[in-house]
Amino acid sequence: MRYFLNRLALLLLTLLLISIVTFVITNILPGDVAIMILGTRSSPEKLAALQNSLGLNDPLFVQYGNWVWGILRGDFGISLRFKEPIADLMGQKILASGMVVLLSLMIAIILAIPLGIISAVRQNRWQDTVSSGVALVGISLPDFFWGIVLILLVSRTLGWLPSSGYVSPADDFWLAIKHSLLPAMALGFSLMAQLARMTRSAMLEVISQDFIRVCRAKGLGEGNVILRHALRNAIAPVVTVAGLQLGYLFGSIIVVETLFNYTGMGWLTYQALLNRDIPLIQATIFVIATVFMFSNLAVDMIYTALDPRISYD
Amino acid sequence: MNALLSTKGLIGLSLVILVGLTALLSPFFIPEALSTKIDVTARLMPPSPEHLFGTDQLGRELFYRVLLGSSTSLMIAFTAVAISILLGLPLGILSGYFSGWIDHVLMRVVDTLLSFPAILLALVISAVLGPSVRNTILAIGIAFAPYLARIVRGEVLKVCSLPYMEAIRSQGASNLRIILHHVLPNIMPPVIVQTTISIAFAILAEAALSFLGLGTQPPTPSWGLMIQASRDYLDVAPWTALVPGIAVAVTVLGLNMLGDVLRDVLDPTIIFEK
Repeated sequence: MRYFLNRLALLLLTLLLISIVTFVITNILPGDVAIMILGTRSSPEKLAALQNSLGLNDPLFVQYGNWVWGILRGDFGISLRFKEPIADLMGQKILASGMVVLLSLMIAIILAIPLGIISAVRQNRWQDTVSSGVALVGISLPDFFWGIVLILLVSRTLGWLPSSGYVSPADDFWLAIKHSLLPAMALGFSLMAQLARMTRSAMLEVISQDFIRVCRAKGLGEGNVILRHALRNAIAPVVTVAGLQLGYLFGSIIVVETLFNYTGMGWLTYQALLNRDIPLIQATIFVIATVFMFSNLAVDMIYTALDPRISYD
Repeated sequence: MNALLSTKGLIGLSLVILVGLTALLSPFFIPEALSTKIDVTARLMPPSPEHLFGTDQLGRELFYRVLLGSSTSLMIAFTAVAISILLGLPLGILSGYFSGWIDHVLMRVVDTLLSFPAILLALVISAVLGPSVRNTILAIGIAFAPYLARIVRGEVLKVCSLPYMEAIRSQGASNLRIILHHVLPNIMPPVIVQTTISIAFAILAEAALSFLGLGTQPPTPSWGLMIQASRDYLDVAPWTALVPGIAVAVTVLGLNMLGDVLRDVLDPTIIFEK
């Protein structure tokens, strides 16, 4: 318990630092929000009035304070590009991205763990060469290129899945899944590869330990030894890597969602960057970093649940 | 050394040498005019003996563009990783060696930066500075630095807890001398491995940034840009995406294989089985 209280305090500190970094980076961005709203040909008086009402003439720390105070009340400001409150805008996008990220995690885990186990159990045989090869190719392909290959193969040639767009699961659940499947596969492939590699090396380490020999000596079936004894001991480091890879995933959604025209957080972030929509840039990168931080915390909790030997107190 | 001579090591090494030589030599042998020559009569031609890798939407030879793209890509990746080492190595050493409040402050900053996915950080930096080759390098370099700092710090902590450090210190060696002569050489193996992997990641990052239009700008030949341009012609000319995509994959694959093998070679705790 004390560990998690400490962790919570650290979390709040990191959140504060994240907000400062976000604010500082976006304030170096050239461009005046007032000019962006009114256009370059507006009268200086109008500009000055708007700058004043937006608080752009206040000292930076006051602006920062106002921004943080807004976030605490759930108010991220108004997007310059979409002319809508950012909080409303992000609500649906977070849902859309959440669906893709969860699907890709599922795809990655379902494929990676068997692949890693086969690799480890059949070390240096052809099964290992094939699985390790697939994993190595997986971490070497840019996910957007893998996405393009998927579009060409699954969408254009086979015509199984749509290659672009987003449908809300509230409107049509199955269509929504269909639309998020290809982006999820593109995202999940490199994650799968990382996890398979980690599973392989963790399993190899565990399999060579004495207690596995004991398990075999007492006559347990090989499947039992591998799945119930070896895997349970090897899974914790795999979860850690999965957690670290989440950061990579949250970065990749920007590229992949843009490729698939899938209007989630990644797509929104890209639109914000492209249009220099400063309030929206601030909001999206703050939210992505925050979600990443919380998912790390979740991973740590799963870690302790999976491996009772680890105790933080 | 055995590991380097394994199949994986040999393949990795040859791929890296192949791409490296291509990147080094092609600017000398292929005039830039060839790769930018627009030929509207030969738009989107499929690969054939005449057009080895096919042509793009402006009739430019993909063969030349991919070869020259290797220099852009590798140059950006190498320089970016060099910058990340230049930033991350001293920070990591400082943090690990002196510990105490320096360590606390530096690591809080590093951890905060690590809360932003590297690609996101690179994209934002590139958007802040304005997209160009120089700024792409800076963006990737800065975005990767915290990872390196973290790894270096861990290694320094490990080295500093060893008994021989105490021995050196008791002989009255200065901090600078200890760092340069005793810490630095001993943390090099993991740093070398990380560098190889970072170059692979930097190539992927450059491709992603250019793909999104926030990296290398046209008309510079860049793999990411070529893939970006191919998006509108996927149905009629899939090779415009596949050719540069395979180029990225081959390069990164070579580096990753080499990285794997180097890790086995440089980590004495792993006994290599042939």
